Amino acid sequence: MTVGAAAGGSTDLIARAVSEGASKELGQSMPVVNKPGANGALAANEVAAAAPDGYNIATLNASLITITPLAVGEDEAVSIDDFEVITGVSQDDYVLVANPDVGVKSLDDIKSSDSKLSFGTTGVGTGSQLAQSLLLAELGIDFTEVPFDSGAPAVTATLGNQVNLSTVQLGEAKPHIDAGKLVPIIVFSQERNKFLEDVPTAEEEGYDIPVSQYRAMVAPKGTPDDVVKKLEDSFKATFATEEYKKFNEQNLLTPHEVSGDEIAKEWSELADQYKKLVDEHKIDLSD
Amino acid sequence: MDFFAPVIDGFGTVLEPGNLLYCFIGVLVGMLVGVLPGLGPSATLAILLPLTFGLEPVTAIIMLAGIFYGAQYGGTITSVLLRLPGEASSVVTVFDGYQMAKQGRAGTALGVAAIGSFIGGTAAIIGLTFLAPLIASFALDFGPPEYAALALLGVTLVATISSGNKIKALIAAALGVFLAMVGRDVFTGTERFTFGNLSLGDGIDFVIVAMGLFGVGEILYNLEERHRASAPPKKVAHVWPTKNDLRRSSGAIGRGSVLGFLLGILPGGGATISSMAAYGVEKKIAKEPSRFGKGAIEGVAGPESANNAAATSSFIPLLSLGIPANATMAMMFGALLIQGITPGPLLVSDEPELFWGVVNSMYIGNILLLIMAIPLIGVFVKVLSVRPAILAPITVLITLIGAYTVKNSVFDLVLLVVFGLIGYLMKKTGFEPGPLVLAFVLAEMLESNVRRSLLLFEGHLAEVFTRPITVSLLALLVVVVVLPMVKTLLDRAKSTPVSKEEKGLHV
Repeated sequence: MTVGAAAGGSTDLIARAVSEGASKELGQSMPVVNKPGANGALAANEVAAAAPDGYNIATLNASLITITPLAVGEDEAVSIDDFEVITGVSQDDYVLVANPDVGVKSLDDIKSSDSKLSFGTTGVGTGSQLAQSLLLAELGIDFTEVPFDSGAPAVTATLGNQVNLSTVQLGEAKPHIDAGKLVPIIVFSQERNKFLEDVPTAEEEGYDIPVSQYRAMVAPKGTPDDVVKKLEDSFKATFATEEYKKFNEQNLLTPHEVSGDEIAKEWSELADQYKKLVDEHKIDLSD
Repeated sequence: MDFFAPVIDGFGTVLEPGNLLYCFIGVLVGMLVGVLPGLGPSATLAILLPLTFGLEPVTAIIMLAGIFYGAQYGGTITSVLLRLPGEASSVVTVFDGYQMAKQGRAGTALGVAAIGSFIGGTAAIIGLTFLAPLIASFALDFGPPEYAALALLGVTLVATISSGNKIKALIAAALGVFLAMVGRDVFTGTERFTFGNLSLGDGIDFVIVAMGLFGVGEILYNLEERHRASAPPKKVAHVWPTKNDLRRSSGAIGRGSVLGFLLGILPGGGATISSMAAYGVEKKIAKEPSRFGKGAIEGVAGPESANNAAATSSFIPLLSLGIPANATMAMMFGALLIQGITPGPLLVSDEPELFWGVVNSMYIGNILLLIMAIPLIGVFVKVLSVRPAILAPITVLITLIGAYTVKNSVFDLVLLVVFGLIGYLMKKTGFEPGPLVLAFVLAEMLESNVRRSLLLFEGHLAEVFTRPITVSLLALLVVVVVLPMVKTLLDRAKSTPVSKEEKGLHV
């Protein structure tokens, strides 16, 4: 199982949790191979070109299909059509958080803020950047965007009020939210996140911006149906174990274990929707 | 004694025989895996993490602390013996450590490094025990402008650190800055110098550059040397530091520990800058700076104490703020999460047992490291008595494996060989790889933080003056640059002929 991210990150942890369960189910080891680079495009291209025999599979992040193409050249973009999607796995929601000293608690506060606020993102071409840019464009306020290399530095900078707010993945912000060091404003998911039930979604506030980090298991196009089915069964069995459910709880992941076809459809729709929204607001992610 | 009760209880847990055994295994395995170049502490932790899955949380953490310290020291071993720095913070150890090994004093270098690491680490843990909550907020005051100033200070140190020709060092540093530009621009997503190659999209990995230039370059150079004059087999004497060695290094260890502790708290680059700063300081205050780069023991003792102290104090932002300061800490963060512990501001008050378990396991890991390292040094040093004809190919093989494990990328192997050739050519033409590698590391930090600062200031540079820490750092920078010039001028004003020794002092 190939993972387009370094060992230790959230994508890697998920891949390892799933592969551990599935290898028990299948009675065959399923080693995780990390091939970080170009947001995961390197790994995705390699698996897309690998032999479709069921021995080459990958954990894929939706952002690579839906968001990355908006920020970088076509040559780095990966198409979902190159893969057989085995199953959806889970979603990792983005949350907009503020430093408490800024004194904003809601979108209205942000809108009526006198000073120009600065917003951190987790990098160019990430869901964090897309969700936040779209939201701020719809709010119609003047702001400064500051990209960081990943989630952790963005959280640190917000904790120190180096940037006033930032949009990061929930897992990275949760301990600080619990400790009162960060104020959650909204969550960018369609339904309320069960780990942050008091925080409204962007949709409830009237902004239709469904951005989460979805992850799915994929195999190269042309992998025989019975092989895909067998893999799917082993993953589904893993999802049902207590151990795996506990893993999701600990990492604040919301299960999104829908079928492969649904994932392919959802991701294509999201890609179109993001493209339309970005064009509509004339947002250039690479600016 | 509200404060001490949980601390003492923590020790009780840590000292159970089972826990000690796991700590021992952790140190040993960490050291062995860490010896493989390219596998720094973060990669070693990632690989060995599954070993801890089935254990009790406290036991698992104790073992992780063991792996952490073992791997950290493993990198020192290769830096000294084979000129292979596994990570940015041990690059400066190479300068004098490898020279000492060439003079047959490898054992002394490793011994002093172990002692320095132990003292630096222990001092930092004591600091961590008492000061963690107090100084944690210090890290948060460091925003992009402060990091930019710090990186600038680091770049200036690069120039002072090199022992050879200043102009050549600057040229090498410029090349390092250029190499750091390769890859996707993190602000706009634009490709820079990648020639459309996706494998270069994330830039060049530090490990590849360092191992190519230092490791492979050195091996190629030695192969050629041997045809000219057959080098006598290296004698391995003086495994134990002499009284003179200890006297020379004790000050360096003390200064390195303090520097490392303070700079290590900063997320991002703290350990690297602290080891460079420690080297710079030692060279500045030494009576004969000319000895540096030729096997000065302070040049090993200072940086090694500093990087270990920094590695330990980088636990402070993790445990008290929930901020992983670097890749290694991010791995620790992940490992703790798997054990059901969320490091963060609430950890001390909510779960004192675990918090003190983590802290105390570091004391034990550090002590075990010292106990194990000293007798093992004799074994490690024997590596050097292996004939070069056998040692060189094995080293290359280990280097290649190490480079491959970073990203499982064959492209990186090609890059490694290319950097090996560059390293060889540099050595032949009298350029040092040190400034190149250090500039490479700092350039990325400098560029992104300057650009972030400009975004925050909205282009108004004058806003720098609203930030006291930045101003202080920049003032220090001016002093470091201007002071030697003023001294030189004063000397000239005295119109006494400048002796060779004085020249060395003021460059």
